[in-house]
Amino acid sequence: MELNKLTLIDAIKGIKEKKFSSTELVSDCLTKIEQLEPTLNAFVTINKDQALEQSKNINFDKPLAGIPIAIKDNFCIKGIRTTASSKLLDKYIAQYTSTVVQKLLDAGAIVIGKTNMDAWAHGSSTETSDYGPTKNPWNPKHLPGGSSGGSAASVASDEVVTSIGSETAGSIRQPSAWCGTVGLKPSYGRVSRYGVIAMGSSMDCPGPITKTVDDAALLLSIISGHDPKDATSVNQNPWQIPTPLKDLKGIKIGLPKAYFPEQMKPAVKTAVLNATKTLKKLGAEVIELDVLDPKYAIAVYTVLQRSEVSSNLARFTGIRYGEPRSAFGDEAIRRIMLGTYTLSSGYYDAYYLQAQKVRTLIIEDFDKQFQKVDAIIGPTSPTTALALGASEGQSMFGELEDMLVEPSTLAGLPGISIPCGFGDGLPVGLQIITPQLREDLAVQIAKLFESNTDYHLQHPKL
Amino acid sequence: MKITPIIGLEVHVELQTKSKMFCSCDASHFHATPNTHTCPVCLGLPGALPVPNRTACEYCIKLGLALGCTINNETFFERKNYFYPDLAKSYQITQLQKPFAINGKITIDGQEIRINRAHMEEDTGKSVHQTIDFEDSTLIDYNRSGVPLVEIVSEPDITSPEMAKNYLLKIQQIVRYVGVSDADIEKGSMRCEPTVNLKVEDNGEVFYTPMAEIKNVASLTGVQSAIQFEIDRQTKAFEETRETKSSTNKTTRGWDAVKNQTFLQREKEGSADYRYFPEPDIPPVIFTDEEIGKIRETLPELPEQKFARYQTDFGLNDYDANLLSQDLNFSKCFEQAISLNPTKDMAKLVANLFLGSLKTHLNETQEELDINKINPEFFKNIFDAVSKSEISATVAKQVIVDSYKDGTDPVEIAKSKGLIQVSDASEIEKIAKEVITQNAKAVEDYKKNPASIGFLIGQLMKASKGSANPTIAKEILEKLLK
Repeated sequence: MELNKLTLIDAIKGIKEKKFSSTELVSDCLTKIEQLEPTLNAFVTINKDQALEQSKNINFDKPLAGIPIAIKDNFCIKGIRTTASSKLLDKYIAQYTSTVVQKLLDAGAIVIGKTNMDAWAHGSSTETSDYGPTKNPWNPKHLPGGSSGGSAASVASDEVVTSIGSETAGSIRQPSAWCGTVGLKPSYGRVSRYGVIAMGSSMDCPGPITKTVDDAALLLSIISGHDPKDATSVNQNPWQIPTPLKDLKGIKIGLPKAYFPEQMKPAVKTAVLNATKTLKKLGAEVIELDVLDPKYAIAVYTVLQRSEVSSNLARFTGIRYGEPRSAFGDEAIRRIMLGTYTLSSGYYDAYYLQAQKVRTLIIEDFDKQFQKVDAIIGPTSPTTALALGASEGQSMFGELEDMLVEPSTLAGLPGISIPCGFGDGLPVGLQIITPQLREDLAVQIAKLFESNTDYHLQHPKL
Repeated sequence: MKITPIIGLEVHVELQTKSKMFCSCDASHFHATPNTHTCPVCLGLPGALPVPNRTACEYCIKLGLALGCTINNETFFERKNYFYPDLAKSYQITQLQKPFAINGKITIDGQEIRINRAHMEEDTGKSVHQTIDFEDSTLIDYNRSGVPLVEIVSEPDITSPEMAKNYLLKIQQIVRYVGVSDADIEKGSMRCEPTVNLKVEDNGEVFYTPMAEIKNVASLTGVQSAIQFEIDRQTKAFEETRETKSSTNKTTRGWDAVKNQTFLQREKEGSADYRYFPEPDIPPVIFTDEEIGKIRETLPELPEQKFARYQTDFGLNDYDANLLSQDLNFSKCFEQAISLNPTKDMAKLVANLFLGSLKTHLNETQEELDINKINPEFFKNIFDAVSKSEISATVAKQVIVDSYKDGTDPVEIAKSKGLIQVSDASEIEKIAKEVITQNAKAVEDYKKNPASIGFLIGQLMKASKGSANPTIAKEILEKLLK
C-alpha cells in the first residue's frame, strides 16, 4: 500500500490505530518524492534524514502524531534552509521557527521538506522560482499555479499527505484550483504571519493546501489563534472545526456576474455553473450579484503589494544573507522599482493613498453583498492550468490569473477553493468566499459539496 | 544689518522601559556586551514582525502631557525607508502623520517655546569604528536597535545658543521628573539635533538664510558652540553670497567637537525621500480619553508647579524655591525632611540646611542626595531644638552633615559635642563673671566704647564652647557691667 496516497485524516487514524508506523508513512512519501521530483520539482529542500529520524519517536497523544507535512519555502524553520525560492537566500539557514510551523511541530507533525514557490512569492505560476519551475501533476507540460505551486503539486501528486502554503492574493487558492487540491485561505489575521518571509504584509496569510476539506479544516484548527508575536493577528482562540451541514437549506449564495469575464475559459464556466446547480440541489438559494468590477481590485492590489514589497525586501540589501543583491531576480527588481515609485513623494497620493481609498470601497462593497447573501461563489481562476512558459514576459500574469481572488484578499476575507470539474484533463476550482472570520461557513459549504461530488477522488496519472 | 537666529531643536530621548519598542529584548544597552540583547525582530531577520510596547507608548503620552501637548487618541506607526548599516530592516518604524502628542509648549525665563510634536520611534543599532588587522573597520552593535525613542520637535522659537541650552536643560528636567529616562546627554540617552538659519533685516528688506541641520552634537556645551558657529558661518556666508533659503538648499552638517566647527555632510536635504507609508505590520494604536486620563493621574508635580507651591505654601524666596525644585530627587528629599512638620518655619530652616552645608558636602563628595538617609524625625528634632533655642542655626548647619553621613540624631550629635545652647541665665552669668575677671582690659574698653562688647561676647561664647545663647549672653554682660 502506498501510504502517501492517504488523506491527512486517514493517515492520522492509521498511525494512531497502529495500522502502520510514522516511519512507514514518511518512507512512502520520500519514495514517491524521489520518484516524482525529477518530473515535478515541487521541493526546494527535502528534509529526508531528519524526517526519518523524527518519525521514530512519536508522541501518540498529539493530534498530528508522526504526520509528515510539506511546508512552503517562505516559512522560517530553525536549522533548515529557507530560501523563499530566491537564490539570494540560497545559503540562509533560518535562526528561528515561524509560529505556524511551531504549532505544527507542537502538534506532533514532521517537516518533510520545503516546497517550491515563485521567488519571494512574486507570481502565480511557480515559474519564477530561482530553483526552476514546478510542473503540474495532471500534465507536466503545464504550470501548477502559484505562488504555493510546490505545496499544491506535492499534495496533488501524493508526494505528501498534506501541506502548508501562504497567500497574498491567490497563492493558496489559485494553485489549488489548477492542481485539483483544496486550498483554504483564512481571514487576514486568523493565522500568525510571524516567521513567514513577508510579501504584501497587509494581505499575507498562511493556510493549508490539502486533499480534502476535512484535512484543511483540521490543519486550520491547529495553526490558527492569536499570536502575541504578530500585532495583526486577531485576538481569537484557535478556530474550531464546525459540525457538518446536512443540506444548504436557508443558505443564500451569491454568484457575481463580474466573476465570469469574457476571456474566461469555457470549461471553467461550465464546471462552475454545474457546481452552482449542485449547490442548488443541496438546498441553497443562488442569486446573481452585481459586485465591483474585479479590475479595480487588480489595480489596487498591484499598487499596495508593490509598495509593501519594496519596503519588505529592503532588508535583504542592508544586512546580506550570503549572496549579493545582484541575486535578486527580474521580477523582484521590477516590483521593488514599481513600489519605490508608488511610495515616492509626489506620487504617494496618486497611487498608494488612492489605492487605500479604493480598498476601503472594495471592503464596503463586500459588506453590502453580505447583507444580501451568506456566501459568494465563483471560479477561483479564469482558466485551467496554463502551459509552461505562459508567464514569461507577462509582468501582470499573476494579477490577471488571480483577478477573481484579489477583491476578497483586499478585504481580508476567508475563502476556499475546491475541485469542481475538469477541462481538457486539467482541474477546475470553485471558490467560496464568506464574511470575515466565517471560515466555518465556507468549510461547511465546501464539505457538503465535496461529499456530493467525486472530483477530489480523482488522481493524476503520473 | 540686523541678524536674528532661528533655531529649532529635535531632541531624542531613549525611554527606560524594560524591553525594547517592538520585541521583548532587554532595552538597556549602555556598556552591555555587543549584540547580546538581540532577537529576530530587532535584527530584522526575514519573517520577524514588530509588536509595539504598550508601556513605551504610555511613557510617550506621559511625556507629551508633561510638555503640555494634546494627545491623539488614535495614532499609527509608519515606515521611514532608508539604507544605513545600523538600520537592520532598512526602514525605521516611526510616526509622521499622527504622532502621539502634538502642540505643546514650555516656558523658559518667561518666554514660550512651542513644541510641534512628541512622537514614538525605534532607535537604530550603533556603528563602532575600529582598526582591525591594521584596517579601518566598522562593526555594528544591534543592542540599541529597537530601543524606544521619543522624538520631541520644537518650533523654531529659539533665538540664541544660550536659549537652546536652557531649552535642553528644561526638557531634560521634565523627562527626569516624569521618570521615563535618565536623559543623559553624555551617555546618549538624550540626543539633540539643532536646525539653524538666520533672519536678516537689511535696508528694510528681510532675508532668510538656508537652513542647516547639525548632527553629532554630544554635549550641552557642544550644542551652544555648534549653534554659535553656525550663526557666525551663516552670517559670513550671507554677506558673501546673499543666498537665501529655498526648498532644496537645506544641508546637513556635522559637528566636530575637536576643531570646534561644523562641516558639510549632505547637501540638498529637501530632496531626501524616505517613502513614508503606514506600517502594515502594526494596527492603529488607540488610547481612550479614560486611558489618557489615567496616565495623566500618574504625572508627578512638575518643577514649575513645585516652584510655585514652595513659594506660596512655605514662603520660600524665588532663589531657594528654584534651587529646591530643580532636581526631582533633591526636592523629594526636601519634602521628606519636612514631612513631619510641613510648616513655613520648618521649611525655611530645612531649606537653609539643604542649600547650605548639605549642598556643600554633596558638591565636595560629588554625590547625589540619598533619600534613604533623610530621616524626617531628625529634621523635626533639630527644628524643635532650634525653636527652643537649644541649638543655634550655626550649630544646626554643622551637625546636619554628620547626621546625614552617620545616620544619627543631629541633636544627639550636638549634645555629645557639647554644642547645646545654654539659655539658662544663671549658668551664663557664671561664665560671664569669669570672662569679666579675666578680661580687665576689654572691660575698660567697653566702658569707654559700649560698641566693643562684641569681643566680650566672643570670649563668653568661646568659654561656653559655643553653647551659650548669644542674645542672652549679651543681655547678661550688659547687666553685669552697668
